[in-house]
Amino acid sequence: MSTSVEPPREVAATAAASRATQRGARGSRASNRSSIRGRDYGLVILAAPAVILLAVFAYGPMAGLVVAFQDFNVADGVFGSPWTGLDNFEFFFTSGNAGRIMWNTLFLNILFLGATLGSGVLLALMLNEIRGRVTKRLFQSVIFIPYFVSPIVVSIFLQAFLAGPGGRGGLVNDFFAVFSLPEVSWYTQPGPWPWILTFVKVWQLGGYMSVIFLAAITAIPEEVYEAGVIDGASRAQMALRITTPLLKPTAAILLVLGVGRIFYGDIGTIYAIVGDNGTLFETTDVIDTYVFRALRTYGDFGTTAAIGLFQSIVGFVLVVIATLVQRRYARETAIL
Amino acid sequence: MTPILDGAAPARPVSRRSFLAGSGGVLAAAALAACSPGAGSAGTTYDLLLPGDVPAQWDRVRGLVNAKLKADLGFEFSPEFINWTNYSSQALLKFTAGEDFQTALSARWLNIAQLIESQALEPLDDALASGDYPHLVASVNQDAFDANRWPDGAIYGIPAVNSAARIHHHIARGDLVDKYAGGSIENFDQLEKFWYDVVQKEGIPGYINRNSPFDVLGAPTGALYAQGWETPDLLPLYFSSDSLMFVPAQDAATTGSTNAVPFWEHAPYRESLHRVRKYYQDGIINADRLNADPATLKSQFDGGGAATTWGITDGLDTAGHLDQLEKAVPGATLMTLLPFRDGQSTRPHQTFQADNLVVVNAAGADTAAALQLLDWVSIQENHDLLQYGEEGTDWEPVGDDAYEPIGDYANFPGFALSWRIPLERKYSRMSESESSWFEWSKDYNNFTLDPFASFIPDLTEIETEHAQITAAVAEFGNPLFAGAVEVDKGLDKLKKAVDQAGLAKVQDELNRQADAHLAGS
Repeated sequence: MSTSVEPPREVAATAAASRATQRGARGSRASNRSSIRGRDYGLVILAAPAVILLAVFAYGPMAGLVVAFQDFNVADGVFGSPWTGLDNFEFFFTSGNAGRIMWNTLFLNILFLGATLGSGVLLALMLNEIRGRVTKRLFQSVIFIPYFVSPIVVSIFLQAFLAGPGGRGGLVNDFFAVFSLPEVSWYTQPGPWPWILTFVKVWQLGGYMSVIFLAAITAIPEEVYEAGVIDGASRAQMALRITTPLLKPTAAILLVLGVGRIFYGDIGTIYAIVGDNGTLFETTDVIDTYVFRALRTYGDFGTTAAIGLFQSIVGFVLVVIATLVQRRYARETAIL
Repeated sequence: MTPILDGAAPARPVSRRSFLAGSGGVLAAAALAACSPGAGSAGTTYDLLLPGDVPAQWDRVRGLVNAKLKADLGFEFSPEFINWTNYSSQALLKFTAGEDFQTALSARWLNIAQLIESQALEPLDDALASGDYPHLVASVNQDAFDANRWPDGAIYGIPAVNSAARIHHHIARGDLVDKYAGGSIENFDQLEKFWYDVVQKEGIPGYINRNSPFDVLGAPTGALYAQGWETPDLLPLYFSSDSLMFVPAQDAATTGSTNAVPFWEHAPYRESLHRVRKYYQDGIINADRLNADPATLKSQFDGGGAATTWGITDGLDTAGHLDQLEKAVPGATLMTLLPFRDGQSTRPHQTFQADNLVVVNAAGADTAAALQLLDWVSIQENHDLLQYGEEGTDWEPVGDDAYEPIGDYANFPGFALSWRIPLERKYSRMSESESSWFEWSKDYNNFTLDPFASFIPDLTEIETEHAQITAAVAEFGNPLFAGAVEVDKGLDKLKKAVDQAGLAKVQDELNRQADAHLAGS
């Protein structure tokens, strides 16, 4: 069997025809762009609620970003509060925490993204190898359920596992005790927490990701596998050398979507688990938790809006870079 | 065109255009319906914020209160209960975001300074002087109002207290005190020995509470602050209670020079940090102080899982714990412990500032209605209905000034709305020790007025530095107060962080304002 996977000629031809059709369709639409014809009004109405929703809840609130440049208070409102230039940005960038918090945000998100994508692919490959339909569905459902578990519940699970009542003991330490290992005070040791949080993310999202990849696997033409069988490939070889490479486009889209949010901490999970436990901030404090803590502690909208604006701009830049890199090196899977 | 519906005999083909237009129309209508105001019920209902969990039987009692409110004042109320863990931050956020609610609990230990600075609170002087709220004015002593004036001379909150001073102390398992301490604990050394005995022989923590700097540094007493039970004469100064604590010079009142220094420069505070660290390592205190939920800790104590917990002299020690404790540990009793070296002849320093102020939201829908409600709950009959429930169903009077609960309704947070000294009833099963200390705490003569009693620093000039120092205290100070980190290393990190955040400027500003206060008083 060949070590690299070439799509069969039929598949390549179908894809080429599909691209040609899309190009034709785009060209045709461009020529009619100047006016909405009667038959398109239905489409406009269909799209209207989503557009309105986006305008009201996504673009409208952007006007509030002016607060980032104001000494905002409720009594004077957005229009009456005094302008302060870039003073609100000073709080974050002169705190001495900015570098560490940005690093934590990037590091944790890269860990989360890599681990959830990797575990998703792995689980999808494993599920795909299960022959029994009922068994497959059962496993699929079981690994998907954690996606619906609230971060608050997860934090309670973790406390039971790592700390126990009164903050001492816990199942993990009980397990350590069996091997005469010393008890670990998990909630005062910042070192292990990036990995603990990553474990939680994989537990929560591994099943969810696997469903997406399973859907992509079902779209792989049967002929490709038949060719593999003719070449004498084992199941493991087909999973590794046929299925995995053909999941690249799906993984690429999920990766770009993930990169777009790489500067956003997962506040739901991190804050629910870490809370205001300062001993863990060294490795777990991300921009979102910092902003949230600043807002609820100081009630200063200007400062927190400034940090949020910075976060959005960096996120936007990262999305653009990720998309450009993707277009440069993997044009066929690029989303733009 | 192929009909979308087929098979059904009289079905008419639906065109693509009709399908799209129809679906779009339905979605648009749904979106508009979702955005439109709800039908709502007839009449006016005002929201307000209360800390803690929703009391059992609350819906029934709220119905009764609302029926009477509607008949008397023409409106109803709908309190939102916010868990204590989040109360301070959520209330601050709701105020500064301009949410529409009437009243909330605030105080200096919460965030009243920030609320006043952001003009989120309604000044109440004119309204109180208007004569429109006679029951409210009659039930709160004028001295209590005066002790809680802001530096600008205005009153921003109604003091909701039931004693002259609230002293932090311990609520102890009386049965364990009988077993391990011969029935009484007279000083902190005896208390410490009791804790160690309990940990060793019962396998439960000696003291549990969520993390609090006041436990360790005292104000002037703290559950773990030994010096505070010897000489309760130090009240730390601070811009906000979650930020850095400063210690004024002992002779500030006579010299006029505050010379306040960060808390770690005060030897008894350093000793207290080391003591707490030792307690943490020896299992005397709970190890989850940094992330434990108050309700979980209460359940732990009420379930017999600790020897002592935190209390304050507000008459709720027994009422808040005894019933649940008795169910979990038959034969258990409660005891209120204030291990002052000099017993009840001690005269702790006090500011007499209220720990509970009911503040009125400046962005609230109707300030007059908010004060009408505060006036309405200042009438004995209404006060009792809200606080104790329906007479005969939820409680029965015992004598002139006590009540006995006979139903499940309990723990309404009256301190955030309806506490008025002349109207309060004592829990009929209040322990003897609590009754004694509660009465002691009601007498202003049992306390010494602190030289900084009416000093409330203004943080306008140091907002950014204060915010950064607060962040540093959250990260490096709180673990010290919890005993979770080695003291010297933890202090080094804290000092470095607050130095970088602008400690020198904040300290200078505090001393400048405090000196000006001393010069003016």
